[in-house]
Amino acid sequence: MLPRQQPWENPGLKIGVCIKQVPDSDAHPRIADTGRHIDDREVNWVISSCDLCALEEALLLVEAAEKAGVGRPELIAFSLGPARVEEALRKALALGADRAVHLADADFQGGDALADGRALAAAIDRAACDLVLAGAQSDDLGQAATPAVIAGLLGRPYAWLVMAVELERADSVRIVRELEGGSNEVLRLGLPAVLAVQAGINKPRFASLRGALQARRKPLETVDCTTLGVEAGQVGEAGAGTETTALRVPPTGGGGLLIEGDAPETAATELLAHLEREALL
Amino acid sequence: MSRTEPVVWIVENAGSGPGSRETLACGRILGPDLRLALLDEERLGPYSPGVYAEALGALIVRENGDGEPPSTVVLLPHTYQAAEFAPQLALRLGAAYVPSISGAAADGRGGLCFRRSILQARLQAEVRPRTRAVVATVQSGAFSSDEAPAPPERVVEVCLPADMEGQPERETLGRMAAGAGGVDLPGAERIVTAGRGVGGADEVSVAADLAAALGAELGASRPVVDNGWLPREHQVGSSGHTVAPDLYVALGVSGSIQHLMGMSGSRIIVAVNNDPEAPIFSVAQYGVVGDLHEVAPALTRLLNERAGR
Ligand SMILES: Cc1cc2nc3c(=O)[nH]c(=O)nc-3n(C[C@H](O)[C@H](O)[C@H](O)COP(=O)(O)OP(=O)(O)OC[C@H]3O[C@@H](n4cnc5c(N)ncnc54)[C@H](O)[C@@H]3O)c2cc1C
Ligand SMILES: Nc1ncnc2c1ncn2[C@@H]1O[C@H](COP(=O)(O)O)[C@@H](O)[C@H]1O
Repeated sequence: MLPRQQPWENPGLKIGVCIKQVPDSDAHPRIADTGRHIDDREVNWVISSCDLCALEEALLLVEAAEKAGVGRPELIAFSLGPARVEEALRKALALGADRAVHLADADFQGGDALADGRALAAAIDRAACDLVLAGAQSDDLGQAATPAVIAGLLGRPYAWLVMAVELERADSVRIVRELEGGSNEVLRLGLPAVLAVQAGINKPRFASLRGALQARRKPLETVDCTTLGVEAGQVGEAGAGTETTALRVPPTGGGGLLIEGDAPETAATELLAHLEREALL
Repeated sequence: MSRTEPVVWIVENAGSGPGSRETLACGRILGPDLRLALLDEERLGPYSPGVYAEALGALIVRENGDGEPPSTVVLLPHTYQAAEFAPQLALRLGAAYVPSISGAAADGRGGLCFRRSILQARLQAEVRPRTRAVVATVQSGAFSSDEAPAPPERVVEVCLPADMEGQPERETLGRMAAGAGGVDLPGAERIVTAGRGVGGADEVSVAADLAAALGAELGASRPVVDNGWLPREHQVGSSGHTVAPDLYVALGVSGSIQHLMGMSGSRIIVAVNNDPEAPIFSVAQYGVVGDLHEVAPALTRLLNERAGR
């Protein structure tokens, strides 16, 4: 935990949170006939796990500011994707976001971190967010890059793998960033800044029924290329630096002996016999 | 040298982690014109992503000289530092960005192709850059360092562009080492690890019981720790402990690259997982496909019977 600082004044502080909708991580998505997309008919769509942590952290910052009596920051959720991502944004509103922005243009679809980062950066700039929280890595593409692209395009300080956040003054934020091997570093970033939040920073809350009812009345704005002032060729598939040309199920095997189809007791006996031969018992 | 072949930059010293030999081995696949850029904190000043991306980007642009820039690949090891600033390097160079690659191919006519995992290693994607420049980070363990060529003779040290000096965009206030907390995982000869598949804080006992029966320490995958089922000091993986016991038993662990980075040096790896396609099985010497809540208690019972307990 970071030590408490003096209360700061932050009239009109705006916090943006990037929410990506991804296939449920317990499922095995099938490859579509195109060979380069996943078959999304049977997919159960959820909010990417780190993004729930980013949203939770934003809610905690809003609550901390309220408690310190320094003005309630506004919390805006952003999501780029087809019509289905409205459900993810409604959930963010139910959890406590004040309003949501859906980047919904058909031209936004099929992008990579560069293309999506460009569109999101334009939307975040338009909303004049002082602090942006995103996930460290999406559960589907796992590029770990979209927030860095947003920061780079907007010319803002950036940190990846953020494990604690505190607004210390109206113009800066103190954070803990994870390093390899379990050590951490404490950093100060000037606002406006972009932070990519790592899983485990907090335990995301569940939406209440009351929250879900309130969410229906909160504003959910839909924006396209024209609203954001971006060229169609700069975003989506056309604006991506990369093209996915094929998807494959990774080859299994290559490992050792697989004990399959036995009753638990039999499998356990067999495994112990092997461990005994390995001189481990 | 063929004109269509790219200039391949190997970036060395971008944080701790996998060495440059794997990156060199990858670079050799992409083209014969290898160059080495060295990041040196003494020369560059304290690390921050914007500054390092700008410094490295400016160097590559300068080395390209005037006229049409050659097709360029910049390869960095996928360390926490490189993964943080590489997307901004790609922006600086107008390059495509391909993170954490596990495979690379070149057709000799300028066409490049990379392989990377998506959907948490459930699928592999073949990715092609659509630009003449590409920045890619190399996943640890994906390329054999035995196949690394000799490093190029000319090493270019990255310096700070003049207009950037004295403008830290972020300031480091301090460092905190990992807490030990009375768990000796690195020194353990046997480890039983609970993965997210154990299902909850109350179920971690299936792993703890087996660990006790084997005389092993108790390990955890990151989600188990993130969910508060076990304290952080039990975590194995790139952001936790690196271990190499005689016996490593993974219960309900899928086998993500970040987990494997912490335990693939174990002598015998045993995995229990109910998904036969779980990547952990490709590194395990012995795998049991089944419900860990049935298999682990059976193992514990048999071991306790043997010991006369
Ligand atoms: C920068 C970074 C650093 C990271 N560092 C680490 C790290 O240090 N260590 C780490 O572990 N992860 C780390 N991760 C997270 C990593 O990417 C994976 O998310 C994580 O390793 C997955 O943990 P898991 O295998 O326990 O869970 P999952 O991937 O969810 O796998 C659970 C497994 O349990 C199986 N299962 C479910 N129920 C049962 C049952 N009843 N019986 C048998 N099997 C069952 C499932 O088939 C599945 O394979 C890091 C990620 C990032 C981005
Ligand atoms: N389509 C999107 N809509 C909103 N946020 C996104 C989108 N894509 C990526 N992000 C954000 O960027 C983070 C990292 O994604 P990635 O770069 O794909 O690993 C995610 O966790 C989100 O917070």
